Amino acid sequence: MSNIDLTPSIRRRYRAEIRFKLYCISAVAFALLFLAFFFVDLVSRGWPALQQAQVRAEVSYSAAVEAGQYRKAIDKSLRRIASRGWLRTLPLYLSEHPERVGEKEVLWITADSAVDQYLKGHPNTLKAKQRKLADRLYAEGKLRLGFNWDFFTRGDSKLPELAGIYSAIVGTIYVLFLTMVFALPIGIMTAIYLEEFAPDNRLIRLIEVNINNLAAIPSIMFGLLGLAIFINFFGVPRSSALVGGLTLALMTLPVIIISARAALKAVPDSIREGALGVGASPWQALWHHILPLAMPGILTGSIIGLAQAMGETAPLIIVGMIAYIPDEPTNVLEAATVLPAQIFTWAGEPMRAYAERTAAGILVLLAVLLSLNGFAIWLRRRFERSW
Amino acid sequence: MTEALISDGPVARIPAVNLSSPLTMEGNDVADAISGESEGDPTLNNMIAIENLRLWYGEHQALHGITMNIRERYVTAFIGPSGCGKSTLLRCVNRMNDRIADCRIQGRVSLDGMDIYEPKVDVVRLRTRVGMVFQKPNPFPKTIYENIAFAPRIHGVAQKGSEMDELVETCLRRAGLWDEVKDKLQQPGTALSGGQQQRLCIARTIAVRPDVILMDEPCSALDPIATAKIEELIDELKNEFTIVIVTHNMQQAARVSDYTAFFYLGALVEYQDTNTMFTSPHKTQTEDYITGRFG
Repeated sequence: MSNIDLTPSIRRRYRAEIRFKLYCISAVAFALLFLAFFFVDLVSRGWPALQQAQVRAEVSYSAAVEAGQYRKAIDKSLRRIASRGWLRTLPLYLSEHPERVGEKEVLWITADSAVDQYLKGHPNTLKAKQRKLADRLYAEGKLRLGFNWDFFTRGDSKLPELAGIYSAIVGTIYVLFLTMVFALPIGIMTAIYLEEFAPDNRLIRLIEVNINNLAAIPSIMFGLLGLAIFINFFGVPRSSALVGGLTLALMTLPVIIISARAALKAVPDSIREGALGVGASPWQALWHHILPLAMPGILTGSIIGLAQAMGETAPLIIVGMIAYIPDEPTNVLEAATVLPAQIFTWAGEPMRAYAERTAAGILVLLAVLLSLNGFAIWLRRRFERSW
Repeated sequence: MTEALISDGPVARIPAVNLSSPLTMEGNDVADAISGESEGDPTLNNMIAIENLRLWYGEHQALHGITMNIRERYVTAFIGPSGCGKSTLLRCVNRMNDRIADCRIQGRVSLDGMDIYEPKVDVVRLRTRVGMVFQKPNPFPKTIYENIAFAPRIHGVAQKGSEMDELVETCLRRAGLWDEVKDKLQQPGTALSGGQQQRLCIARTIAVRPDVILMDEPCSALDPIATAKIEELIDELKNEFTIVIVTHNMQQAARVSDYTAFFYLGALVEYQDTNTMFTSPHKTQTEDYITGRFG
């Protein structure tokens, strides 16, 4: 027992402790609240985009349609209900399938976005007459909300009912693949050199400090750099997946270098000494012993770096990847767009139907990012090693 | 020079020597101890000769002109209080100190008459002749088999398959580990107990058939039983290898070594055959340390 009377001060200390704990808990609760709000809001906004109004109509592949009078493909009464954009694709379809000219077919065809919004109970521009028609068709079962395949199979469009994320997804795959191809080897090899081979001198320390600083630079700067170097100097085509990939590779490099160095540093020196002690060359020690141990960490860091690059919009604005790009690229030099850029573009559109597509696009992007990060966590857990 | 490094193990095998014959013939001090050249007695061959070795870590001088000879196929123990430079000296012999950026060395360390700090010496080859066992067991986080097979494979000593299997078995047997691990060669080496890990590290070291094995406090992380096993092993291995062991444990030095060197503040204070060292040291400083009055 202490000889000093601690009773009052101990009570005070315990009270302070409880208070502090409560502050921390409420901070966590706040954060969770925001997160929950964010998800609920996004899902409730984005969910409707997965459904699209469709109308049952008889489509006649007449010669007039093939000649360009696509509106004549369906009954006159339905022309205000069906999507003009969808009808507009018919002449091209028929020129590719001339054997079908003269046939007729009953199909569920995409409805106009105003009808779509009306069915979903959202504000819309549908006129009273057409509302009545829509109500009647709906009652007859000739108008429905079906799964919006177009959202996943079509590129961007100026008609919201036809706008999809397909071209953005293809563009994202191209850009991310290129980012990986450029950033991974350079980043990992830089990290290996700095961590395992570089002498400890002023120049190397300067390089290290600069790499650490680069990781904290606003990403839009990398866009400017990409514009200046890749587009203006090397003449890489604007908006292309190549320039996007190169720019994002620049941005991701510091992250990959830093995480790869941390992973290499985490391999205990005793392993290096053990390998060198039996006469392995530094390269053999690295290749046979250190790299295999550091690889999970390097990959985890790289995946997180790539996920970050995938969600990046700002540098891509500068290199021209924010544009109306309805078709998916077929090679790395063609104009492409990426998911966040597509979301950014839609977010600026005034029509209500784009708002729900924006939210749905964000949901898709989030799902991909979460699964990438989940994979990184799994990798780390799977190969985690304690010394 | 390089020929010597590729040489296939020690060239001449010398019969065991009467240990009671002191390293220093008459003198009482270090100068005599170290001058004990093998000229007088042809059975006493110096494997390692260290001449006026000085070493700096940056501005700090860690070794102050060490001169000593280490006998072939004997166990030499380095003792002394922490920070006296004994591990540093040990790591000079296989040039592990090269890894430390601001470490400077002056003087000469020669292995079988060859200066190992000459520019043309290949460090990789040197380290196959001078193996090292570390303080903390550091098996590679791979299978037991792979721990042994790694070095022979990268040096091209043994072919994959039965030749390698044999080599692995021989090394494990000589490290006294075979019976304990023969059924689990494909299990990770890190799953073994501390003592077994350390013997695995010794087996890994002898797999490249070095001339010298350096041991840097090999038992400091082990329990007494595991320690006894390692000491037993050292006793067997000295028939074939020159062993230098750094230890904090004076009893251990007395038990396993033939010669003992006492270091203090980066200087070699006394170097004697172990019996003399522990029964009638010539320097009071040594006596004080051995009897536990300081250090």
